[in-house]
Amino acid sequence: MLSEVLQGTESGGFVIIRDTACYSGRRLLKYYMNCALKRGEAVHVLGFEVPEHELCAGLDSNYLHLFHFHSAYTDPLGWTKQSLFTVKHFSAKEITLLLQETQHANDSVLVIDSLSWVVRHHDTVTVCQELQKLRKAGGSVRMIFGLLHMDLHQQGIVGTVSHVASTVISVTPMNNARYAMAKTSQRKKSGKVMQKEEFFSLPEDLTLSIETKPNQSGNVQTDLYTKSEVDPTSNLTFNLHLSEVEREAREKVALPFVFSEEKKSALLRPGRGSGRIMYEPDANDDIDDEDPDDDLDV
Amino acid sequence: MAAPMENATKGTRLSGSSTSFQKKSRSKLIQIPGTKPSVHTGQLIVSSGVPSLDCALGGGLAVGSLLLIEEDEFDSYSHALLQYFLAEGVMSGHELFVASAQDHPDDIIKDLPSPLQDEDPDLKNASSSSPGQQDAMKIAWRYQNLPKFQSVLSSSSRFGHYYDLSKHMEQDLLQHAKIHTFYLPEEQPASTHLSGVLGPYSVLLHSIQSLIRQNGFDGSNSQVKTCNVLRLALHSLGSGLWGDDVCVSPAHNHALSTFLYVLRGLLRSSLSVAMVTVPTHLIRNKLLRGRLIRLSDTAIALQSFSAADRNNSLYKDYHGLLHVIQVPRLNCLGCEVPDTKDLAFRLKRKQFTIERMYLPPDLSDSVSRGKQHLSHWSSFCLTASSEWSRSSRAGS
Amino acid sequence: MFVELNSILNTSPDDVTQREFILLSDRKADASFLIHHYLSFYLKAGCKVCFVGLVQSLSHYSAVAQRLGVNLVQAREKGQLVFVEALKASAAVMLDQTGGDVAQMSDYLRSPVPELRALFEFVRASLSQAEAEADSNSPPVLIVDDLSVLLSLGVSVRAVLDFTHYCQATICSQLQGSVVTLVRCDDDDDDDEDESSSHLLRALSHQCTLSLRVEGLRTGYCRDIHDQVEIWWRGTGENVQSQRKIFQYKVYDKSVSFFAPGTSSAVL
Repeated sequence: MLSEVLQGTESGGFVIIRDTACYSGRRLLKYYMNCALKRGEAVHVLGFEVPEHELCAGLDSNYLHLFHFHSAYTDPLGWTKQSLFTVKHFSAKEITLLLQETQHANDSVLVIDSLSWVVRHHDTVTVCQELQKLRKAGGSVRMIFGLLHMDLHQQGIVGTVSHVASTVISVTPMNNARYAMAKTSQRKKSGKVMQKEEFFSLPEDLTLSIETKPNQSGNVQTDLYTKSEVDPTSNLTFNLHLSEVEREAREKVALPFVFSEEKKSALLRPGRGSGRIMYEPDANDDIDDEDPDDDLDV
Repeated sequence: MAAPMENATKGTRLSGSSTSFQKKSRSKLIQIPGTKPSVHTGQLIVSSGVPSLDCALGGGLAVGSLLLIEEDEFDSYSHALLQYFLAEGVMSGHELFVASAQDHPDDIIKDLPSPLQDEDPDLKNASSSSPGQQDAMKIAWRYQNLPKFQSVLSSSSRFGHYYDLSKHMEQDLLQHAKIHTFYLPEEQPASTHLSGVLGPYSVLLHSIQSLIRQNGFDGSNSQVKTCNVLRLALHSLGSGLWGDDVCVSPAHNHALSTFLYVLRGLLRSSLSVAMVTVPTHLIRNKLLRGRLIRLSDTAIALQSFSAADRNNSLYKDYHGLLHVIQVPRLNCLGCEVPDTKDLAFRLKRKQFTIERMYLPPDLSDSVSRGKQHLSHWSSFCLTASSEWSRSSRAGS
Repeated sequence: MFVELNSILNTSPDDVTQREFILLSDRKADASFLIHHYLSFYLKAGCKVCFVGLVQSLSHYSAVAQRLGVNLVQAREKGQLVFVEALKASAAVMLDQTGGDVAQMSDYLRSPVPELRALFEFVRASLSQAEAEADSNSPPVLIVDDLSVLLSLGVSVRAVLDFTHYCQATICSQLQGSVVTLVRCDDDDDDDEDESSSHLLRALSHQCTLSLRVEGLRTGYCRDIHDQVEIWWRGTGENVQSQRKIFQYKVYDKSVSFFAPGTSSAVL
């Protein structure tokens, strides 16, 4: 599922990759950038958090002419007056202008690294509105990718921003250093929602491999949930299964205290003429609610 | 500590040869009455007025440092510590600065405890009991040469005085002392624009600073050649009476922490030492307490026992727990670490003592009298151990 | 400078890693010994160091540095060390007595909505200058002790993060130098509070390349093992694998010994 995120042709997709300090989602972001480049799409990066060379490293060098880095790294707030693009310019209008300066004929993908930076400096509601405007503007921007550091914002903010997105991928580390887990939930335009948890590994050359279990290779794309439904009786050293013959034989065995129908009905029929005890309380009865032997639960 | 070295011997320092220079400066600095160089770091230290507290804090309070006391619920023991601190200043001939918004500083001064003439009560006890110690042990002879267990914290060399809380200090002693007071209701409200950041403390900061400057504690005023220590006692900062709302609203309020920071800066560059008490249990913003502790050098917290607490046999000899929250690391990498952090205090008539907490021997008749008391004994042990774990958790 | 720590980190003053953003932090413990380590380490390595001392006075740092074999006063006279005495300046700035450089740099103390832009400008100026005159082998270094004090003075976490971002962008990326910062946490980790030092720490963890996290022992107070430090090499993009290791340590007069958990000489 991770590998299919980019493949749709419908425009207006908005993917948020959520990570924490323990495991950075930036490499997954780079993987998608690389995929988009290979498809011949232009990639525009609004880079706040890492410098250009760091984000470029590992990308396919044949397609770097399609890669456009709008640096807000060295001077995101305009303190040193070095860069044209600062965080203050984060609006649908400005970004569209920025993309048009270097517009190619084909589709383009917008990458925001990271949304956390933007959210820190803008009102969350405004950010959501501008992002939505960018999606709806159509034309130039086919997809938007954003990195969001989950542990830096209050839950409400993470939820609000994620709500705007069509796909949310949360990455968390595993005990095994090579693998990480991605929890993807994708909302199609039709309203269909797909959710999946996958283990993946993503080395520096940006080749994604998805695994069912971190230590077993092969068998791609098995749903995690099936794992829990494995038959627990399969690998036992003794036999828990019954063959058909065995089962029939077992059913024939007469169990103790299982009575025949006749005997049951005879027992259930109220007997006539048998003795009964009639008791009516009397004033002289010696009612003793003490417990002389200390063994009753009175 | 830092400041005197810097001011007095800057020239020597530049010329290098560190070891000989330090000894020289020590002998020079020791001339200030009531101070001595610390055993561990060589800093100039003064006594807090409670010898066992000095001991718990690694010898005493370093000049130029800030001691934060988290008040107990009724401010009775923290107030006593403040008075000891001031009384010690009077006895050592230091200058005093008392600031309060609650009691008038003059009243605080008037109530200072009187010094004990026959000095160290512990030493006396020890000497009186020593003949018994000399006797050879007959049965438990293996214990003969072990050091005697001492729960009261004390050091071998005498530093600081003992005071009798039941008597007030004599007038003539007080008259000789140089005392500056600051009583908030009598001060002019701040007129400068700075009151915005510092809030209600800007007036206080101004008066402390002008005092330090005019009397030459920072060495800047060349006309006044004082070689004396200034003791600052600031009572119950952060309480509502100071006009601060940290105890009322949980909103972020930086007035008190900014004040402490600037005060720290002032102390570092002058021959002064400050004791600040804060009712931290009242502070609503949960971040502020940690910040105040980090901004002070030494921090201790007093936790007094209620009557119910004292029914517990572990606590019955004490008035409360003393938590050493933070010990300073000044001029050195590490700090003197205590053996234990399970400390308790008791306030006797003549003495505020801090002791290591331990289980007292149960001397009641019921002990070791047959089986029927066994259940009683085990339940005692249970409560004691749970209290132990609670107190050590609180301490850590 | 602690030789044992150098060998753990596989570095030495002759072989300084460039473009490092080192995050020191502590919780219920004191990580200031690491500040002294890095100060002496980079001075011994011959780097130009800008030290922002927000917590202690110069004489404190120089007294400790002397124990570690570095003379701060000499380094300062040589121009190798730029020492920002922010603590000392605070009183003067607060009470409106000095004009000029220092007052401007410390404007975070007085402004109602404090920004650290002026402090950054100062740092940049002092280190860029070094770049012009010094040889290229000694990268400039910024050390801040410590950032969480700024939060106590009313500077917002956002403003501190802007400051560190600019420092990283300028010193690490442009000047090929390193940044060392200390954050001291005094609150609970799970605090969902925007202005807490834990929040600052989390945000800086995203930025840093190496994190040394000092924590109190979980088992409580101990005289022979002071605390533990978790060293976290964050694999940042290019070649380093993310890796974490925990050591316990004990601080001595002039050095610190590090050992694997449970192998203190007091235990064995």
